[in-house]
Amino acid sequence: MNILETKNLTKIYGKGDTAIAALDGINLHAAEGEFVAVMGPSGCGKSTLLHLLGGLDHPTSGKVIINGQDVAEMTDDALTELRRREMGFVFQFFNLLPVLSAVENAALPVMLDGVKAEEAKAKATEWLTRFGLAERLANRPDQLSGGQQQRVAVARALVSEPKLVLADEPTGNLDTRSGDEIAGLLRDVGQKYGRTVVMVTHDPRIAAYADRIIFLKDGRVIDETVLEQKNGKNAEMVAERMTKLAN
Amino acid sequence: MNLQLTLAARYLAGRKLRTFLTTLAIVFGVVILFGMNIIMPSMLQALEANMKAAAGVVDFSVTSVSGEAFDPAVAARLADIEEISALAPAYVRTFNLPMDFFDEDPATLDRVTAIQLVGVDPEAVQTLRAFPLMGGRFLEAGDLGQTVISQSLADALQVRLGDTFWLPTVDGLTPLTVVGVLPARTLPGNEEVLVTLAEAQRMAGQPGRITTIDLNVAVDATDQEAREALAAEIQNAVGENYQVGALTSGADVFAALEMGQAILSMFGIMALFMGGFIIHNTFRTVLMERQHDIGMLRAVGASRRTILGMFLAEGLIQGVLGTVVGLALGYVFGVGMLKVAAAPISAFINIQLKDPVVEPGIVLLSIFLGIGITVAAGILPALRASRISPLEALRPTAAAASFETNRGRGFWVGVALVALSVAMLFFGQEAMIAAGGFVFLVGLTFLAPALVRPITDMFGVLLGRLYAREGTGEVARGNMLRQPARVATTASAAMIGLAVLVGVGAVLSSMSGTVFTMLRSNLGSDYLMVPPSIGLWANNVGASEGLVDELAAIEGVGPVASTRFAASATEGIAISLLGIDPTLFPQVSGLGFQEGDESAYGELGRGRAMIVNGAFIMATGAELGDTLELATPDGVQRYTIVAVAADFLNAKVTTAFISQANMAADFGRAEDVLIQLNLDEGVDPEALDPQIREVMQAYPQFNTIAGYAYLDQMLALFETAWSAMYFLLAFLAVPSLIAMLNTLAISVIERTREIGMLRAVGATQRQVKRMVTAEALLLAGIGTGMGLLSGLYLGYSWVVAMEAFFPLEYSFPLAGLIAGLATGLLFGALAGLIPARQAARMDVVAALRYE
Repeated sequence: MNILETKNLTKIYGKGDTAIAALDGINLHAAEGEFVAVMGPSGCGKSTLLHLLGGLDHPTSGKVIINGQDVAEMTDDALTELRRREMGFVFQFFNLLPVLSAVENAALPVMLDGVKAEEAKAKATEWLTRFGLAERLANRPDQLSGGQQQRVAVARALVSEPKLVLADEPTGNLDTRSGDEIAGLLRDVGQKYGRTVVMVTHDPRIAAYADRIIFLKDGRVIDETVLEQKNGKNAEMVAERMTKLAN
Repeated sequence: MNLQLTLAARYLAGRKLRTFLTTLAIVFGVVILFGMNIIMPSMLQALEANMKAAAGVVDFSVTSVSGEAFDPAVAARLADIEEISALAPAYVRTFNLPMDFFDEDPATLDRVTAIQLVGVDPEAVQTLRAFPLMGGRFLEAGDLGQTVISQSLADALQVRLGDTFWLPTVDGLTPLTVVGVLPARTLPGNEEVLVTLAEAQRMAGQPGRITTIDLNVAVDATDQEAREALAAEIQNAVGENYQVGALTSGADVFAALEMGQAILSMFGIMALFMGGFIIHNTFRTVLMERQHDIGMLRAVGASRRTILGMFLAEGLIQGVLGTVVGLALGYVFGVGMLKVAAAPISAFINIQLKDPVVEPGIVLLSIFLGIGITVAAGILPALRASRISPLEALRPTAAAASFETNRGRGFWVGVALVALSVAMLFFGQEAMIAAGGFVFLVGLTFLAPALVRPITDMFGVLLGRLYAREGTGEVARGNMLRQPARVATTASAAMIGLAVLVGVGAVLSSMSGTVFTMLRSNLGSDYLMVPPSIGLWANNVGASEGLVDELAAIEGVGPVASTRFAASATEGIAISLLGIDPTLFPQVSGLGFQEGDESAYGELGRGRAMIVNGAFIMATGAELGDTLELATPDGVQRYTIVAVAADFLNAKVTTAFISQANMAADFGRAEDVLIQLNLDEGVDPEALDPQIREVMQAYPQFNTIAGYAYLDQMLALFETAWSAMYFLLAFLAVPSLIAMLNTLAISVIERTREIGMLRAVGATQRQVKRMVTAEALLLAGIGTGMGLLSGLYLGYSWVVAMEAFFPLEYSFPLAGLIAGLATGLLFGALAGLIPARQAARMDVVAALRYE
């Protein structure tokens, strides 16, 4: 079953002569438990796509359907609720609140949903423990390494048990080892916990952890590749393919 | 704890210095508002306690509506009321004593500064009150020169049973022999000196008059309804010229104190508004700083309401914190001020200050304004925060710059308001002009963002010269222009402080000129005999006509004019009446006329006419030519206003001048409270001085001052008062300092990465420091420029508004301008110190990594 589907998704910036189509009639889908990577050169529309999928921005035309609901037709409040309950976000710059501890940061979406603090923190603790941060619960972001911060961010994305996790260059700010850890973690999110993950990245090594890679160029889907091995070993193949497609 | 409150609290704790500085602004406002409002009610209560103690322990007392002494025959009207079980007439009056009267030592605080003279009918009063004597006897009918006092007063005066002490009275010093001693006084208020009715009347120069009829009634004290019914019956019997219940004397003091309280409250509220500006400004910056955090929160599912709530919670926490600390410090401030001010205050209005009084109303008002203004200041930024798109979370950080043109709606609202305020100046109506000052300030606040560029350019030229070849001045100028809205808010906060400083400076410099002229005409006689309390007349002991006659009889003494006092009321408003001799008064003294002229003196002698002051006009709403009903001890009398004029001593109290003949006839007062005299021309003043002083020796209640010595004394007093005012105003400018410090600290934090870059590309620590200092000076320059401009307007409008009840002529406030400019730039330099150091010492690598 498809958790995510887009139909002729188009986003145009500007008007008249200066109009630029960031996305031009994108049709894609992601099934339950699937890990999809979106790749492409700078300015190809990766980030715009992710913003539209997350309901952070509005399409010029076309549809984004998440779990059967058309995002474009939702009010701001309904969208907020959708993000809180059905989606998780992982950002390049972690975006943890500097004033909250790791467990509080991870518990944020459920706390925002009105769940009692103890209960919310218990859930967050569970996820952080799974990600190897049991000893770091009370630390604030500035007391954590980049990799640890991003693991907290992944825990935050999963704490409300969402169907869909959207990740925007989640390893862009990390060293190679931490990057691999996070990519592996995201793969587990799909395989072990049955969530759909859509990740935007420009790093072939990271994209090679996905089930499927969608290549974008000039706002269009130009290729899709299904990977057999999902452990980063296909990185070279992905890189080659990307270079070829880019030209 | 709720998530919003948790986040708010954590953010506040995460930026301790900023939280401290912004909260300080609120603390400051609450301290002034609350502290000042403790001081005044404490004075009022001390006064009330005096009066209640004077009313004693009787059930009811009947006094004249006018507040004056009346004919005891009124008591006969009560004969038919069965419930009255006991009744006694009394003559009660507070006597202010001259400084050092008993202890004769100027170095120590006087033990006794005022006494309550209580003249009683010895037999009748004992049916009302019990006098448990510790020694001696009680007064007997026919006693003259005998007194009964408390042990505590006896101790203070160092007298014992059988000893004699002297009191200043209208006929000179009067000896009183202690025939009985009562237990030490435990009630608040002045000590009582009990004498027979006849003796009290003689000492006060009002034979055959009483000030109160005290009653005890045979009605259950707890039966409120029956008591009220009886009070109504008594009121009915005595008629509308009398009142049942509290004494009315002292109304003038109350009015003066209440006015003082209103002015000080205004200071507090203004300080709070400045605090509001600072908080508002901080929130705007916080908003920029947390753009990312807010975007993320929105992305992970925080609703707009949640974000709004988070910001408001932050305001709430700061408001509560600032208010609580403000209340505590305000209390300490109030108590401290009361301690410091106790001596001068008791010398001026003769009250003993006790514990500070905290009225629930002022606590509530402080809480309401303290928290309310803080939260309100956060509303706009909070709304803006709630509109931040979740996309912000995905954008890279950089200190925002917005070189907008600032010619939006706000600009035109500002233009309209400033134009309106200027138009208001030409309406000629005082209320309109005074309101214009406020409109001008608000208008300028709206205009502020658009003014940032021209003023920055102007000061920037100066700074460019100062920092030539370094380029730091240029960078600083650019930094000012990138956030004109924030700079404008800070400048507005600084502006208010400085505007008030310059504005009051204008009023003070206008007053000093006017007051000097007034003093010369009013108190410019060769000799002045002034009572102990110059501000408030009711409790001063004067002299009978004998003194003036004695003085006039001295060879070489020319015209002698006296001023007398009587209390009255019109339309329920207490007024002070001053009795003058229409012929003699203008020869030795004079009034400053606002409406009508000197011919009005003559009219005072014909029929019932009065010259009133501006405060009288303001209070009653009457106009020249109107006829008003004044309460007298024997019913109302109609007096016509023939001129509006003021004298120096009564500029602020609701005052009317009438002829001494009318005062004697209608109010029964012929006691001279202030005497002025001129010497004949060609007389040697030094030869006459001993003679004049010899006559005055019997009247120590008067301070005898030769000619211009008094002028000098008064001018010195004014100067002291004015420097105190400036000090208070400088206090008000403190939040400006906090505002600037805050904005600079914030902009340094915000530009951490930029500063790191500057250092990386070769800027020295010194250059970074200079850049921030230059910014501080620019910011101060903008605030000062706006402050001086609005201060000039405020000052002019206040002077014009005050002309209504005080003859004033506008004089340009050069001193105020210089003080404002110095304060503004000094504060700017001070405000730059810490952030400049902070910026210069920044670790370059850490700064470059800063997010």
